[in-house]
Amino acid sequence: MSAVDDPTAGHPAPGSEPDGSGLPVEAAPIDAETAAAVRAAAPRPDRFRPAAAGWIGRGVVWAALAWVVLCLPGNIASPVSLSATEARGASEAVVFAIIGLSLNVLIGYAGQISLGHQAFVGIGAFTSAFVVTELGQEFWLGVIVAALVGALQALLLGGVALRVTGLYFALITLSYGVMVQQSLFNVESLTGGVAGRDAPLPTGVSSAYGYYYVCLGLLALVLWLDWRLTRTKAGRALLAVRENPRVAATLGIDIRGYTVLAFMVSGFFAGIGGALFAHRDGFVVAEPFTFQLALIFIIMTVVGGLRSRSGVVLGSAFFALMGDGILLKLLRLEGFFENVVKLPSEFVPLVLGPLLLLLTLTLYPGGIGQQVAPVRGWLLGGRFDRHAGAVKEVQVTDVRA
Amino acid sequence: MSVLEVHDLSIRFGGVQALADVNLAAGEWEIVGIIGPNGAGKTTLFNCITGFYSPTSGRVRFRGEDITELPVHVRAGRGIGRTFQNVGLVKGSSAVENLLTAQHLAASYGAVAGIAGSPRTFDDERALRHRAHTLLELLGLADLGDAAVADLPYGVLKRLEIATVLASDPDLLLLDEPGSGMGPEEAHALGDTLLELRRTFGLTIVMIDHHVPLVTRVSDYMYCLNFGAVLAEGPPEVVRAHPDVVAAYLGDAAEAV
Repeated sequence: MSAVDDPTAGHPAPGSEPDGSGLPVEAAPIDAETAAAVRAAAPRPDRFRPAAAGWIGRGVVWAALAWVVLCLPGNIASPVSLSATEARGASEAVVFAIIGLSLNVLIGYAGQISLGHQAFVGIGAFTSAFVVTELGQEFWLGVIVAALVGALQALLLGGVALRVTGLYFALITLSYGVMVQQSLFNVESLTGGVAGRDAPLPTGVSSAYGYYYVCLGLLALVLWLDWRLTRTKAGRALLAVRENPRVAATLGIDIRGYTVLAFMVSGFFAGIGGALFAHRDGFVVAEPFTFQLALIFIIMTVVGGLRSRSGVVLGSAFFALMGDGILLKLLRLEGFFENVVKLPSEFVPLVLGPLLLLLTLTLYPGGIGQQVAPVRGWLLGGRFDRHAGAVKEVQVTDVRA
Repeated sequence: MSVLEVHDLSIRFGGVQALADVNLAAGEWEIVGIIGPNGAGKTTLFNCITGFYSPTSGRVRFRGEDITELPVHVRAGRGIGRTFQNVGLVKGSSAVENLLTAQHLAASYGAVAGIAGSPRTFDDERALRHRAHTLLELLGLADLGDAAVADLPYGVLKRLEIATVLASDPDLLLLDEPGSGMGPEEAHALGDTLLELRRTFGLTIVMIDHHVPLVTRVSDYMYCLNFGAVLAEGPPEVVRAHPDVVAAYLGDAAEAV
């Protein structure tokens, strides 16, 4: 490599040469000092700073949000008392958020769709249950092993299958999911067959309320990893691969390598989600891990808003709460779907989901993430900008996937 | 030793012989110009050198190593950088982000360490960002800021693309029509820039362009392609005056220049 780390090393600073040569287009080149002076003098739009009242308003909303997330499900400082079932529902919302973030890495960052994510979540669930009950290990080790098995699965499947992309890759994951569901989940020595396998609460956690905080902690970990992913070379590489693969390759980015890596990160997150899924109920059976579930996962991620962490978390939580009926109960709509339209409540997300998906793709391509972007910007100390988060290119790149 | 050597390169797409036994070499610190009418196979040649196309026959050598079979990203890692006719940038990202993306191989941490958020990666990211700003300043692009590059004017994008490729730290720079869309004065300034960049970065440059005066001025050696074959080669004045070149490509324009 001939170019040096500091391109100005051993070379006069661009501004110090009388002719300022080196500017290809502009006829009258501006040297660095002039540019700096112009920059300093130019009236830049001032960074918005909220007034005291604005900060108080934001503080109140932050406190309310923190209360809903941190206190309400644990019955801490709470006027209402949630039942253990409702606390489990809250845990499920958090687990779905982790799974949504898992798919977001694959669909949102890598531009590939997995139609077999029920297998990743299911294998994570059974792995953790196996590690805890058969091998007598701690819950934490179960989660770690489940996450690693998820990544390994993605490496094996992706290493072979990611020679093809887009629709063809989606088809391969679809058959992988169905294969796992029909064969692996019925191997009695691994999954306990029809009876399933015990998956006790972690040591030191005695109730569904406590377990909610375990889920929340792992969601925080996943959010951290996802944030670092988008802020470092892997995230930029994936963005370049998605938007302009030819350019990415000429910059030295291994397209397939990074797509497999994204799939592995997705599998890692799905493994964590699966482990949490298992220990929430105290036991795990193969029955919920169907293709239907994989569809819900995809719908909730896209409706949540690809590449928007807050959107994906909210969308996933929304679908989780809708699926177990808590949302309907909150809206006083219990029994509406069963009695009036004869639709069993577990199918409600599958019917409402595609409708929301349609609305998302036509009106809000950025999903819930786009809808909450103004609030998000406001909460972070900006102005309330109604147009924040508008997505321009999502249709092109994502439809191609 | 030549930096780049192309031996008897041929490629055929169905019934079309896009390149026929092309031989080309570029020595250390040399600027090699390629001219030729549209459809002569100039960009196809670049695509064979960077690895997007596998030639039907012939070899490509980079610093003596046969790279004909290597994948695109590995060749980039060896030190081959290129620009594209239709601007190769990530349009949804800002100028700085594009330069960060281009420093993919320069980042000293592993992708997994980055995802895990190891403390070192924060420092490394800061260093990459600093280098990106330095490069932008060097090319007079310091003020582009954080806006997405999609809305920038074409001439600025062309300059930004060169900054981006430089960020990827190449030894050999392939420029595909860097002067397209530029007027004579801008093209002249571009020539100065290229000469300056060669001096600063120690680059070997192979450039395709239709601005014959530009190519003639900066090139040490020049090739003219026509119908996938080398029509003429030699010092720029010689090639430009070559009767076949005049007939095939320049026509009456040669006298005008």
